[in-house]
Amino acid sequence: MAKDVRARVGVGVVAVGATALIGAVLLWWGGYDPQVAAGAMFRGSFGSWNTFASITLVRSVPLILTGLAVSLAFRAGVWNIGAEGQLYAGAIAAVWVGLRGATLPALILVPAVLMAATLGGAAWAMVPALMRLRLGIGEVITTILMNFVGIYLAAYMVHGPLQESRGVFPQTDRLVEAARLPILVPSTRLHLGFALALLLAAGLAVLLRRSTFGFQLRAVGASPEAARVAGRIRTGRVVLASFLVSGGIAGIAGGVEISGLTYALYEGLSPGWGYTAIAVALLGALDPIGVVVAGVFFGALQAGAGAMQREAGVPAAWVGVVEASVILTVLALARLRAVGRRGGS
Amino acid sequence: MSEVLARLDGIERRFGSVVALDGADLILRAGEVHGLLGANGAGKTTLLNVIGGMLRPDAGTIEVGGSVVSFQTPREAWTCGIALAHQHFALVPAQSVLENLALGLARGWADPVRDVRAKALKLMDRIGLRVPLDSRVDHLGVGDKQRLEILKALLKNPRVLVLDEPTAVLAPNEISGLFALLRELAAEGRAVVLVAHKLDEVLMVADRLTVLRAGRTVLSTVPGDYEIPDLVRAMVGADPVDAIAIGVDVEPRSTKREPGESVAHLDRVSVTGGPGVDLEEVSLHVYRGQVVGVAGVEGNGQRSLALLLAGRVSATRGSVTLPEGLGFIPQDRSTEGLIAAFDLTDNVALALHRVAAYQDGPWLRWSELTRHAETIHERFEVQATSTSVLAGSLSGGNQQRVVVGRELSIATDLLIAENPTRGLDVAAAAFVHDEIRRLVATGVGVVLVSTDLDEVLALSDRVFAMTRGRLLEVDEGQRSREGVGALMLGGAFAHA
Amino acid sequence: MNEIEIALFLESGVRLGIPLALAALGETITERSGVINIGLEGSIIAGALGGAVGALAFGDPAVGVMAGALAGVAVAFVFAAFAIGLGTDQIITGTAITLGGLGLTGAVYQARFGATGTALTLPTLPSAPVPLLSDIPWIGGALFDQAPTAYVAYALAPALWYFLFRTAWGLELRAVGEAPIAAHAAGVRVRRVRFLATVFGGGLAGLAGAHLALAHAGTFAEGMSAGRGFIAIAVVVLGRWNPLLVLCAALFFGAASALQFFLQAFGFDAPYQLFLALPYVLTLAALAGWVGRSRAPAALALPWRSE
Repeated sequence: MAKDVRARVGVGVVAVGATALIGAVLLWWGGYDPQVAAGAMFRGSFGSWNTFASITLVRSVPLILTGLAVSLAFRAGVWNIGAEGQLYAGAIAAVWVGLRGATLPALILVPAVLMAATLGGAAWAMVPALMRLRLGIGEVITTILMNFVGIYLAAYMVHGPLQESRGVFPQTDRLVEAARLPILVPSTRLHLGFALALLLAAGLAVLLRRSTFGFQLRAVGASPEAARVAGRIRTGRVVLASFLVSGGIAGIAGGVEISGLTYALYEGLSPGWGYTAIAVALLGALDPIGVVVAGVFFGALQAGAGAMQREAGVPAAWVGVVEASVILTVLALARLRAVGRRGGS
Repeated sequence: MSEVLARLDGIERRFGSVVALDGADLILRAGEVHGLLGANGAGKTTLLNVIGGMLRPDAGTIEVGGSVVSFQTPREAWTCGIALAHQHFALVPAQSVLENLALGLARGWADPVRDVRAKALKLMDRIGLRVPLDSRVDHLGVGDKQRLEILKALLKNPRVLVLDEPTAVLAPNEISGLFALLRELAAEGRAVVLVAHKLDEVLMVADRLTVLRAGRTVLSTVPGDYEIPDLVRAMVGADPVDAIAIGVDVEPRSTKREPGESVAHLDRVSVTGGPGVDLEEVSLHVYRGQVVGVAGVEGNGQRSLALLLAGRVSATRGSVTLPEGLGFIPQDRSTEGLIAAFDLTDNVALALHRVAAYQDGPWLRWSELTRHAETIHERFEVQATSTSVLAGSLSGGNQQRVVVGRELSIATDLLIAENPTRGLDVAAAAFVHDEIRRLVATGVGVVLVSTDLDEVLALSDRVFAMTRGRLLEVDEGQRSREGVGALMLGGAFAHA
Repeated sequence: MNEIEIALFLESGVRLGIPLALAALGETITERSGVINIGLEGSIIAGALGGAVGALAFGDPAVGVMAGALAGVAVAFVFAAFAIGLGTDQIITGTAITLGGLGLTGAVYQARFGATGTALTLPTLPSAPVPLLSDIPWIGGALFDQAPTAYVAYALAPALWYFLFRTAWGLELRAVGEAPIAAHAAGVRVRRVRFLATVFGGGLAGLAGAHLALAHAGTFAEGMSAGRGFIAIAVVVLGRWNPLLVLCAALFFGAASALQFFLQAFGFDAPYQLFLALPYVLTLAALAGWVGRSRAPAALALPWRSE
């Protein structure tokens, strides 16, 4: 076990190192000064306690949550590429409940908002889950298609039924105080959502390692045939449950973002967190604790990219390239390690 | 002596840390049927794949017609006159027989099947093997698939024809037909290489024998120069001899164990639309302390029967009574019995996690599970440094020890074993047979479903044959390869 | 709704369907070889940027089309190097390629043409009406008064069908996608075939991107591929991996996207965001409704090593 953890951490460190190198070469090739860019990136992410808490950690919250959603699904052999759509579905449900229940006390409203977000995300995941289980249609395409439906549905909501009362801006009214997550660290923007993400990660870690359901989930993901034949596990049920839990967690990401940070739903709420989540999950070795670390890393990266654009004029779109190279390096290292193990020892 | 068509010298080949071939030699002459013998794991299939261009050797030379060759692909082997008939897996299931025959023969922009149809028809007429050309391969039975593999190889008109275990899926009388064909092909001046792990089958047809052990050629001779016990010793060395696994001196069980109470009961059960072949009106009682053997050519419904008895599929019609303490050894240990990426403890938990004693509300009692895994590790002598070794890193024999150990520990009433020794080396097969005998002596009922007729005959108190989804009991007087074989083929008619 | 409106609806349906058709036809070949390239989106956006850059640099949209196809090939090459060369998971690799492709094109575009400012104006591919055919009432203008890239799609569908089902190479390609072990045993170089099929698919996706930039929009915008790579993969499923049906499915979804004109003509007043979601919802419904029985190549998304 300890050896395994060391190996995973090793892969992570090498991947990050390789990515930094690739990033530097790309920047140099694009005509920027890598040193200036790196300085801006560092200042923008770790520069001060307030930067770290208010930008890096705040940005890491949806990444950790969607990363947990994706990693749980992948562990169960469910290719949920749909965290983005599930996040939007959760956000829509959350904002709807938050606006409707404006008169309720915080002690009831906040849990209700989060519950709505969970159900919204799970409902969004239910469609591809049933299409896979009932009709045998692979979830890769269906979850991606549901992403677009979710994004446009949110756009419709903020232009239509949920548009703010003056009817000017494409966004919803702001949530009342009672629907908002409290600030976790005074004088920063770090909200309770971060603690929630950490708790959820710890809970999932225990679930995967110790519980019957977690064991069945891992078994179905590792080998559905063996799970069914040797384990007498009803794989369909486990797949459905994993899909719904994964969607629910992605939905929480949307709800937490609204109730903790933006207090309103607007178009383009997520800059693609649901996709970045795949990089987070892989860099975190599909392990809940690893996902937390990887989520903070990507939060810092996105925070730094913003600063890099402001200070060094480097387009923030580079982040997509960096994410891609993290994913590819982790995949390649894992393959090379597997091949090495087969050929060497 | 007749012309040497091919000569393999000092062939070595490793897969990772496993040495599959370690200096194998083979000389093939025109006009001979050459039997390649060896226990499971001796390297026979690897050697064939080297001859056929599927694998490149790490060391050693291949000479064809006097010049040294090196095959990059199987196609280069064909051009040298060598063709390999695989076991039935090297086919494209979703394509027609004709397309399978054409694959690799026609090249480029040409219509792939036009010329092949005429050629195939001519060949089938000449040698008398028939396969429906326009059927999709996944609609064929295993016997037809094996015939298609042989046709595919013969279509290349090879001087050297190599057949990998062609008899494994054929019934006894089909085997004698195949052997007659092989003799004819050899008489035309070809060399035919026949691989089997059953000694007496090879002795029926071969003019020359080569014995492999642990990747090395240990004997090359003509039949008659050696007595059977010497050949056996050449095959297995000092390993304990399991007569069943190498097909010599197999005696059907004569002494019958007394049956205990009924422990499982099928009453006119039909299964349709399941993963295997449909079952029709199957009835069966399994009693404590007895082994029920079910023989049959693959693809006749044994898979469905095994899954049904193991409680893995449910009946469409009829009633099924199964006990609580049920163990199941599925035929494919690496994909169905174990999870390669899980360690031994997790793999033991795979079957035990549903047992109430290992659960505590929503949690699993991991300390109990770990202790149980350690017990299996010791008691069944699994060659692994600890229980946290990944199952995928174990040899086939050790994997089967884990599966057998795990299933025996829950089979307090009934054990279903489906082809439990397939692909195992002699020592591992002997271990499995011993464990089954020991278990049945403790009063557990056992159902042994196997395509290995010798295994069924040697271990069972009652013998059944499975044919086209029906189960027929074999009378005591008919318990021989020939007797059961006749039932397996024509049983449906014999009983009607 | 009069004849002109119907003609307009059909014309825009075909126009929206063409890039889907190009990308989906390429992906059909890729998937028939057992590779699912979720990175198709990356090839399309690279093709769009490549098309824009090429057309600007040489002032000739034809050069742009070539450059676009090459850019699509380059992206697919990276995907293939990982997924086929190294044997990494195809789905995750493809997702990474899409992320990287979108990021890289966005960054290059901002660096080269500036993040703000007016939209780029490109030399466009003019439509080339086919004599006689374009005069057919109702559908003539819709089908045969399009950019030359549209005719490439029309010609490719039967050509690829013939290739797949009537040539030895096609047989080998299908065998690789169904049962790589059998193909290997027949002397087919499995990974080489997969590599070529993937790169071919990337080239067509690049062409689709170039068409978007040069024939459709007349400009480049970040993320202008707008999920067409994913829709194209769904179109392949809808077309049951048969090039002729794939072309029909692509045109069908072009028409679905053009429905907004049709409905607006009827005075159907719904927010346009719902229209934008419509093709995706219809794709899901179509997948659920009529694909049920069809079967993907058996070895799709499974890596292959020869020993």
